[in-house]
Amino acid sequence: MKPQLKVSLLVAGLFVAVLAVLLVVTGRDGGGADADAPGGATDSRLVREDSRIIGERGSSDVVLVEFLDFECEACRAAFPVVEDMREKYGDRVTFVARYFPLPGHFNAERAARAVESAARQGKFEEMYHKMYKTQASWGEQQVPLDDLFRQFAEEIGLDMGQYDADYASEEVADRVQRDVEDGIALGVQGTPTFFLDGERFEPTSVDDFDKALEEAVAE
Amino acid sequence: MTLATNSTRAPERALGLLLLIGGLIGFAAAFVLTVEKVALLTDAGYAPSCSLNPVLNCGSIMRTSQAEVFGFPNPLIGVAAFPVVAATGAMILAGALLARWYWLGLQIGVTLGAGFIGWLIFQSLYRIGALCPYCMVVWAVVLPVFWYVTLRNAQAGIFGRRVAGSAPVRILAEWHLLALTLVFLAVLALITEQFWYYWRTLA
Repeated sequence: MKPQLKVSLLVAGLFVAVLAVLLVVTGRDGGGADADAPGGATDSRLVREDSRIIGERGSSDVVLVEFLDFECEACRAAFPVVEDMREKYGDRVTFVARYFPLPGHFNAERAARAVESAARQGKFEEMYHKMYKTQASWGEQQVPLDDLFRQFAEEIGLDMGQYDADYASEEVADRVQRDVEDGIALGVQGTPTFFLDGERFEPTSVDDFDKALEEAVAE
Repeated sequence: MTLATNSTRAPERALGLLLLIGGLIGFAAAFVLTVEKVALLTDAGYAPSCSLNPVLNCGSIMRTSQAEVFGFPNPLIGVAAFPVVAATGAMILAGALLARWYWLGLQIGVTLGAGFIGWLIFQSLYRIGALCPYCMVVWAVVLPVFWYVTLRNAQAGIFGRRVAGSAPVRILAEWHLLALTLVFLAVLALITEQFWYYWRTLA
């Protein structure tokens, strides 16, 4: 074998070996603990005990879960539609939001932590609104926007000492990350991804959305 | 002196093969991307065949502005350009001797291609945050094509005699495969680092 082929293979082999070791060492934490099959209304990964409900729980057992990213434009586009649906069906349907910040969105994870921190003071909905209503002004920026999100927190009247502590806490970061891992386990590919009563639901129009909810409620 | 001509022609033949095969693979990838793009345009809810998971996802990539930098879908460039690469490879294999201007033209083409790919890799990793498998096939084709065409031209004196005889060119020509391997591993390392959170969940 030519020396350069040998060296190249050696370098490539080393690379793969280091990668494998890193994966084994850092992987395997979280997940695995609850290995129920994905999908199905009873899948605990779809809605956790402490998953955030937008508004109030509905009177029927119909549940719409949305995996969302506060920096994703498609999610912002879906936001008013979801709001309309909440207005129409919110009394009967439970709307659940799960965090799914995508890695390509620089501030998405920060935004999720900010919203989760607000949720810990009972103001999930206010912060959720704030994020989507202002998204056009802060989305797609490649600089950390912790200060802006803090300002949002102030504006909706959070206890700032508590907010700062939550925002920086490992607990909140883990909480967001667990949503992401649940989403991945459920096969979420991007945002927004909806699940209606445990079934993946891909509305292509407002009408679709309306009809699906109407049928689900009627059942 | 058939022996001597054979040995000087051997690297040229290898380059011909690389261009032919690389050009065909690149064309196939660009063509599939174009077809997927059309499908996506006619049906907004269409899920492209390469949207496998949150990271490997060309659907989200094809909807970005980076996917049509020049006002039309990028893969159209590949559909037009890769056949030229493949045809050049076939000509070399057929024994054609190409004029200096042709090699220069090819050099300009592959250089623009490599520059564009570099930019796309950066965008994909750090701005869009997703990978598209077919696009990665194109990356994997353009990088070696650029590398070996450039190396060939440098050695053949297309950039002047001084370049052809210089130490860096000699060393790179000798360790061409290692250099290419290192570039590939560097891109792989960046991909691994950027999407580590996701790969970790697969372990």
